[in-house]
Amino acid sequence: MFQLERLIVQFLLNFVAREDLNAFLRNPQYTATLVGSLIAVSGALLGTFLLLRGMSLTSDAISHTVLLGIVVAFMLMSSILGQKPDLSSVWLIIGAAAAGVATVILTELIYRSGLVKQDAALGLAFPLLFALAVIIVSRFVDDVHLDEDAVMVGEIGVAWANTNSHCLVQAERTADGAHRAKPEYSCDSVTITPNDPRAEFTRQCVNCRRLGISPRDKEAEFTEICANCGDYSPAQAWQAGFTQKEPLLVFWPKSITVMAVMTLLTTIVVVLFYKELKLSTFDPTLAAALGFHPTLLHYGLMVMVSLVAVGAFDAVGSILVVAFFIIPPAAAYLLTDRLPRMLVYSSLIGAAGAYLGYDLARGNLLGLAQISDILAGLNDLFGLDLIEKWDSSISASMVLMIFFFFLAAWIFSPKYGLVSTMIRRSNQRRSFDHQVVLGHIHRHQGRVAESDEVTASTLHRHFRWSPTKMQRVLRQLRARNLVQTEADLVSLTARGETHARMFRQTQLTTETGGE
Amino acid sequence: MSGHNGHDPHEISTAALDIDDLTVAYNSKPAIWDIDLRVPEGVLMAIIGPNGAGKSTLIKAALKLIPRAAGTVQFCGQPYEQVRSLVGYVPQRGSVDWDFPTSVIDVVTMGLYAKLGWFRRPGRQERMLALHALEQVGMQDFAERQISQLSGGQQQRTFLARALVQDARIYLMDEPFAAVDAVTERAIITILHELRARGKTVVVVHHDLQTAKEYFDWVTLLNVEVVASGPLAETFTPKNLRQTYGGRVAYLYDDQSAPATGEE
Amino acid sequence: MPKLPAEDRHRASFEQRRIQRFWLLIGITALVAALFVPFSQIFLHVEYDYTLRTVALGGALLGVVSGVLGCFAVLRHQSLLGDALSHAALPGVALAFLLAGRDLGLLLIGAGLTSWLGVHFIRMVTNTTRIKQDAAMGIVLAAWFAAGIALLVYIQARPDASQAGLDTFIFGQAAAIVERDVQLIAVVGAASFITLGLFWKEFKLITFDAEFAGANGFRVNILSMILSTLIVVAIVLGLQLAGVILMVGMLIASGIAARQWTDKLGQMIILSAVFGAFSGSAGAIVSAVDADIPTGPLIVVVAFLLVVISLCFAPGRGLVWTLLRRHSDRRRFAAQTILHDLYHYAMDHGAPATPGETLGERASRPHLGSAVPEAFLVGVRGATARVGLRQLSARGQVQQRGDAWLLTPAGIEAATKDDHNHQLWAVYRQYSDELALPMVAEDRQQDIRNFLPGEAVEKLERQL
Repeated sequence: MFQLERLIVQFLLNFVAREDLNAFLRNPQYTATLVGSLIAVSGALLGTFLLLRGMSLTSDAISHTVLLGIVVAFMLMSSILGQKPDLSSVWLIIGAAAAGVATVILTELIYRSGLVKQDAALGLAFPLLFALAVIIVSRFVDDVHLDEDAVMVGEIGVAWANTNSHCLVQAERTADGAHRAKPEYSCDSVTITPNDPRAEFTRQCVNCRRLGISPRDKEAEFTEICANCGDYSPAQAWQAGFTQKEPLLVFWPKSITVMAVMTLLTTIVVVLFYKELKLSTFDPTLAAALGFHPTLLHYGLMVMVSLVAVGAFDAVGSILVVAFFIIPPAAAYLLTDRLPRMLVYSSLIGAAGAYLGYDLARGNLLGLAQISDILAGLNDLFGLDLIEKWDSSISASMVLMIFFFFLAAWIFSPKYGLVSTMIRRSNQRRSFDHQVVLGHIHRHQGRVAESDEVTASTLHRHFRWSPTKMQRVLRQLRARNLVQTEADLVSLTARGETHARMFRQTQLTTETGGE
Repeated sequence: MSGHNGHDPHEISTAALDIDDLTVAYNSKPAIWDIDLRVPEGVLMAIIGPNGAGKSTLIKAALKLIPRAAGTVQFCGQPYEQVRSLVGYVPQRGSVDWDFPTSVIDVVTMGLYAKLGWFRRPGRQERMLALHALEQVGMQDFAERQISQLSGGQQQRTFLARALVQDARIYLMDEPFAAVDAVTERAIITILHELRARGKTVVVVHHDLQTAKEYFDWVTLLNVEVVASGPLAETFTPKNLRQTYGGRVAYLYDDQSAPATGEE
Repeated sequence: MPKLPAEDRHRASFEQRRIQRFWLLIGITALVAALFVPFSQIFLHVEYDYTLRTVALGGALLGVVSGVLGCFAVLRHQSLLGDALSHAALPGVALAFLLAGRDLGLLLIGAGLTSWLGVHFIRMVTNTTRIKQDAAMGIVLAAWFAAGIALLVYIQARPDASQAGLDTFIFGQAAAIVERDVQLIAVVGAASFITLGLFWKEFKLITFDAEFAGANGFRVNILSMILSTLIVVAIVLGLQLAGVILMVGMLIASGIAARQWTDKLGQMIILSAVFGAFSGSAGAIVSAVDADIPTGPLIVVVAFLLVVISLCFAPGRGLVWTLLRRHSDRRRFAAQTILHDLYHYAMDHGAPATPGETLGERASRPHLGSAVPEAFLVGVRGATARVGLRQLSARGQVQQRGDAWLLTPAGIEAATKDDHNHQLWAVYRQYSDELALPMVAEDRQQDIRNFLPGEAVEKLERQL
């Protein structure tokens, strides 16, 4: 991971100055948005397939249970290595992926018993694994990055502060664009040994604890130990004053690397297996027949979901990440019918939500209003006692913005939105009413019972319509020159005749026989 | 036992089921279109048509289970709301979860819930009626059996018993012969013939052309529209069938060994 | 009253045994629960003071409420709706707190309102778009929960300490339950049970077959909304104990466990209430003693243990019994097949030649006194065959002669009987309709006399 970061940093320094890069990464909003967008993109890519497979809630289950994997791996590593591992450690990620797959397998096992329905099986499996994780966390783990609060909301707001420092010797871009090494900067790490002149020593009682005596006791024996011996990274060395030359440092937030790797991995998997995923999503049987191993793909997808969930855990917690999997694809599903566009749209929606969500958390409602003003207004109006400063969870606000985009898509989507559907429905209903009447007259014209079936004044009874509605429809049909009325008897015009026949041929055919 | 067998003089002229200009649409695509249908009392009628012809839709729309776009439906000359107790409905077997924790007799008793009204529990009398209905379908030994232990044919008979216990005048059945064994099929058709003999009207959604001729005396051929409806002899003609199913059915109809059309 | 045939009397006693089993199970659970108290006093050093008694009682009551109403969530295939709705309650809790302060009744009303909004949002999205129910539930779960978190974080910025304990709604904290809460739970729970009792048969009908209910004139939409509301009530009440995230486990687990032990809805609900009370109070007590652990996870773990026990050991349905039955079926099948093979082989080949006898005469004369080489047993082979042979020789029906096997007189008798049984089944298949015999599932491995009344078998015998 560290080496990878270094490569990225060196690459980026080809384009931006070090100070600018540091300033950018040190900006909480930029870092949070970047991490949020990466989560959104990878979540959206996978979530689209989950949505189309009807497995959206599996991502919910997995994102809960990766916690168990993280916790168990964390405990194992603490006891084996004797030190607390970093949350971005590869072993934790592997543990989490295993827990994700375990959830799916446990669900399958319960379901396969034949005694429990599918939904109930999922509803049993993931609460159990999550419950175990919470018990372990609350009882046995004592770590700031791994407590119940982190489980819920993550720490995307302080992602900028949790960094690796990268020291760079030569990569400084000057005004003329050429790279030049700056000999006055060093990237040496420093090791202080007891022989070093800079070493500091303190006295320590060697037998106090054993004998249970105070250091002031005359039997106390002392030894000199080095208080500041050890390895110092360039940054630490500079801070401790061991080196006079200021190192060139880039502070790179760890979350960005983890999520960038996950996003890259997700993108590669989706691009490589695009046709297999597509086929096994729409027709698993055919996919199996063609030798695409839908089960393997299924578990592969679950592993990817687990990886993204664990990558996002640090930033947004294990529950809110569900939103990044489910909501953007659902919104995109309302905007387009084509899978590639769905993937792009949902990624964009997720990223935009992440960006605007940061503002929302800081009290800026889409640039339209300040939440603090609204709160003040509420206080004035209802005599409430609300604090007028709004400073809320960034990850939750990102989810709310994504949800806002879903609402917008739901209402205004040109194809499936509520508004356009309503307009289209009313148009359809009108043309449908017309067809009903035309078809009816067409069928009864020239038959014996005609007088009863096609009289303008009684026609409405056959359809159970109100007379006014019948009159309106007839008026519209007359205006379109499809029917004519003679002495209360309605008949089709030649145009209406063609129209009715055409409709019968095109609309009323069903696929018949032999399917 | 039945209070509906005696015909009122003025009711003789009314059809058991009278559908007038009924249209149902899913979105804008019509599922059934401008249906006119009169089913006289005391007939055993099959609704026959290809997949997606709207056979089940017709029954469900008649019972107001799905909204109608236009049209009226009358049972014995009355709208459905007023004569619910005269109508017995047998839904498709696959529409429920057979792992539900209940016994056969319990399911049959459900047919009496509507008559019981709010808040009243079924008692001894209801149990007797249910047992009697089970006897009619040859399932009395299964009364206390858990419904998940039933075979497909036994499930279908249970549903039939639930409709019989209602002692209705008109029965609407959605694919009662779908995927049942031969023994059950024969048992069901015997019950249907008994019902007809008692003057009941039975409307059955059916998909098997081979057996239709043998079982029913009245047929409605449906393909979104009513192609033909009437006594079997007049209606079940190659010409009408071809119009219902398209060209290929002539082969189906002429050649008895040919497979029946697919099930819905 | 129709006459009860022997078969039905047999069933009736079977039914009685089942009811006895049900009460036995309830008794055992009560006993375990009762033993739990001294056990925890001695080994966990739990002191049952007033506070703990309150907490335990509250836990038990909540377990009962969610156990009873959870059954309907399970049977309506809406387990995961419970998950979405419990998450959706969080913003309601936070909003109610913001506007009205920390009053449990109001907090729960707020929770109920947003949760109920969630139900409707799911219904609207699925009705007006092509988004399926699972995704709609996921949207509500995530978005509502996010709103709740955003509000909670905002509330936590308040300078006063009044918000303390609000986040116990996330993982549940039994220690927060006081006597007033228990009273509230009891009253609301009783009210929802009365509603359930009043609409019992309607709820049962719409849960089993909503279409039939609709055709019979029941207002399915309204009834289903009342039932959903009751489930929301159960969720909202349980939040304090189990927390929004794990509430789904508490809601459905005891129902699933109860379903394994009984085939009757009423019994399932009573059992589920007992299981719910057990896991609710056990979780509450443990977490009240060890304040580090939130209650929700403990309840879920206890409830899941009940589910595992039920799935494995429930009589009839349990996995252990199914495996045992399958094993013994396989053994019986092996033994029967071998007996059949031996019998027929001996019939066909075994007779020693007697002078003057034609080949045909010899073949038609059954002779069962000669041994059959093991290699000639064609029905089953290998380990299965050995299992079968071991069983038969244990019953004294075969004897080993080197590599070959010989039917003993007892074996011959058994084989003849078995053969006869097979023939009766064959006749039954052919003539059951003609002879107007009751319909039973055909199983040639079983004695037909166990399935058909005596006179029916006699009729079959006459057809042979």
